[in-house]
Amino acid sequence: MTALKSSPLALRLTAFLVLLGLIATVFQSFAPAYLSENNLHALLRHMSVNGLTAIGLTFVIVVRHFDLSFPGVASLGAMTLGWMLANDFTLMQSVAGGIAIGLVAGLINGNVISYLRLPDIVTTIATGGVAVGLSYFYSNGTSISENFFMSGILDLNDSRFLSLDMPVVILLAAAIVAFIVLHCTRFGRAFYATGENRRSAAFSGIRVRAYVLTAFGLCGALACLAITLLVASSGAANVTAGNQLMMPAFAAVYLGAALFGAPSIPATLGGTLLMSAMLNGFTLLAIPYYYSDAIVSTVLIAAIGIFDPKLTTLLGGLFSRQPAR
Amino acid sequence: MTDMTMTTAERAAAKRGPDVNGFFLRYGLFLLLVLVMLLFAWLRPSFISAGNINDMLRSTSIAALMFLGLTWIIAAGEIDVSFMSVAALANMVVAGLVVSGNGWAVACLAGLLVGVVFGLANGVLVAIFRLPALVITIATGGLAGSIAAAIGLGTSISLSSTGFVGSLLHINLGVLPLLTVIVAFLYGLAWFVQERLTFGHYLYALEQNRAAVIEAGVPANRLLLILYGLSGVVSALAGILLTADLSSGQPYIGTSYFIDGLTAVLLGGMALKFGKPNVIGTVTAVLLLAALLSGAALLGWTDAQRQIVRGVLLLCGVAVVVWARRKTRAHI
Repeated sequence: MTALKSSPLALRLTAFLVLLGLIATVFQSFAPAYLSENNLHALLRHMSVNGLTAIGLTFVIVVRHFDLSFPGVASLGAMTLGWMLANDFTLMQSVAGGIAIGLVAGLINGNVISYLRLPDIVTTIATGGVAVGLSYFYSNGTSISENFFMSGILDLNDSRFLSLDMPVVILLAAAIVAFIVLHCTRFGRAFYATGENRRSAAFSGIRVRAYVLTAFGLCGALACLAITLLVASSGAANVTAGNQLMMPAFAAVYLGAALFGAPSIPATLGGTLLMSAMLNGFTLLAIPYYYSDAIVSTVLIAAIGIFDPKLTTLLGGLFSRQPAR
Repeated sequence: MTDMTMTTAERAAAKRGPDVNGFFLRYGLFLLLVLVMLLFAWLRPSFISAGNINDMLRSTSIAALMFLGLTWIIAAGEIDVSFMSVAALANMVVAGLVVSGNGWAVACLAGLLVGVVFGLANGVLVAIFRLPALVITIATGGLAGSIAAAIGLGTSISLSSTGFVGSLLHINLGVLPLLTVIVAFLYGLAWFVQERLTFGHYLYALEQNRAAVIEAGVPANRLLLILYGLSGVVSALAGILLTADLSSGQPYIGTSYFIDGLTAVLLGGMALKFGKPNVIGTVTAVLLLAALLSGAALLGWTDAQRQIVRGVLLLCGVAVVVWARRKTRAHI
C-alpha cells in the first residue's frame, strides 16, 4: 500500500465519500425506502454490531497478526450471556460475564501466540473450535431466550440516547475510546511499532509481547460486546450467533485499510459503513441472506486487489507502455 | 521469527539430548493411532467389526483426498482455508445438476471445473499477484460457500440415485473399499513426488526461504499456482464423492472438514519430519481423526465434546510442532 500512501488524505476521503454516495444513489433508485429514516436506523444498528467486532480485529491486524477465533468466542460469549440471564443474574452481571469470557479467551490466544510463540492462524482456529464446542454445554445447543423480557436486555437494542439508537451510541463510544488510545497516545503508537517491525520495536523498549497480548484480549472482548448487541436485537442467544461476524469484520478492516492506506480506527469505521450500506441495500432488494457472504467476499477480493500496490503498478505499467508501442 | 532467542547452551543441549525424544516425535503419531484403535476396540468390540472398518476407511479416503493439496500448500509455507468450501460447492453443483436432470458424468465434470476455477483463482491471486493468502482464501472460501448455499436456496438437496459414483464408492475388495486403494495409490505417488523428486525439495525450500528459492532460479510463483490448482481439484473431487456418499448435496458440509483438515496436516507434520507437513503424516492423522470420530460415536459422545477434543488435538499438535522445530533446527 506504499504506492498510494503518498496521496493526500483529502483525496482518499473524497474517494470514500464518492463511493458511499454511489452506493446510496444506486440503491435509492432501486429501493425508494433506502434513505428513509427507519432504514437508516436499521442500517446503523446493523453497522454497530459489525463495527465493534471490526474495531477489535483492527488492533490484531495492526500488530500484524490474525485472529480467526472471534466468531467462536462470540458464540461462547452469547451463550454465557443467555445462560446467566436465564439463571436470574442481573443484566449488568450477565453482560459483564459475557464480555469477561471474551476477554479471557482473547488473553489465552494472546498468551499462547506472544509468549509461547505458536503460529497465530492455526492457534486461533483451534481455540475458536474449542470455544464453539464449549458453547454447546450451556443448553446442549438449543437457543436460550428465557427471562430476556424481564431482564431488560432488549432495551440495549431499543432504547435511545440523544435520538440515536443505543447500539450506535455504544459503537461511537467504543470507537472514540479506541481512536484516542490507538492514535493519540504513546501506548497506541506502540501497537503500530510492534506491527511494523517487531525487532526494532523491542529494541526501542516496547514490550511487544504485552502489546500482542493486549490486542488479542481487546479483540475477544469487543467481539463479545458486539454479540451482546446482536443477542439484544434478536432476543435469543444461539450457538451459531458468532458465525456471521467473521466475513464482515475482515472485509471492513481490509476495505478500510485499502481505502485509507493503513489499518486505523476511522478506516475500519469507514469500511464497516460501506459494507453495511451495501448489505442493507441488498436486503431491501429482497436478495436472500445466503448471498451476503458472496457480496462481502467479492468486495473484499476487489478491495485488496485494486488497492494493492503491486497490481496497480503492474496495470499502470501496462497503460503507460501502450502509447510507446 | 522464532530462531533469534536460542542460546549457545541450548543448542549444545539439543545436540547432546537423548534420541528417545526424537523417536517419540518421529513415530509418536503412529503409536497414538494404534493406542486409540486398541482402546476403542477394547471398550466397544463393534469398533473393529468389518462393517465399521469399511465405513471408516471410506470416510477416511474422502477426507484424505481433500487434504492432499492442503498438505503441500502448508508444506510450502502458505495457507488455504477455502478447501472445504470448494468441496461444498462441488458437492452442491453436482447435486443441483443431477436433480435438474443432467447425467452424473456431466455433473461430475462441472464439479471438477468448479475446483479448477477456484484453485486457479486462489493461485493467481496469491501466487502471481502476491496478495495475502489467508485473507484471499477466506474471501474465495466465503464466495464458494455462499454460491453453494444459493444453489440449494439455503437448504440441502437430496438425491434419489447416486449414479456411477455411488457404485464406485461401494465396490469393495474384501474389507477394503476400492476408493481406499485408489487414494492410497495417489498418496503413494504424492509421497514419491514430495520425497524423491526435486519438486518436493522445492516445496520444503519454499517454506524455509522463499527469496532464496526465487534467487536460485526456481519458478516459485508457478509452483505455488500449481499447488493451489491441485488443492482446488482434489477438494472438488472429494466434494463429488461426498455427494454420492451422502446421496445429497449439503451446502454447509465444509465446516466439519475445516478444523479436521488443518489438524490432520499439522498433526501429520509432526510425524516423521519434525513439523514439516508430509503426506504419510497427513494420512495417519486422518485415520486417527476418523478413529476418534467413529469411536466417539460408539461411546455416545456429543458433537460438542468431539469438537473440543479436535480443537485440543490441533493445539497440542501445533505446540509439539513448534517445540520440535525449535529443538531440531540447531542440527539440521
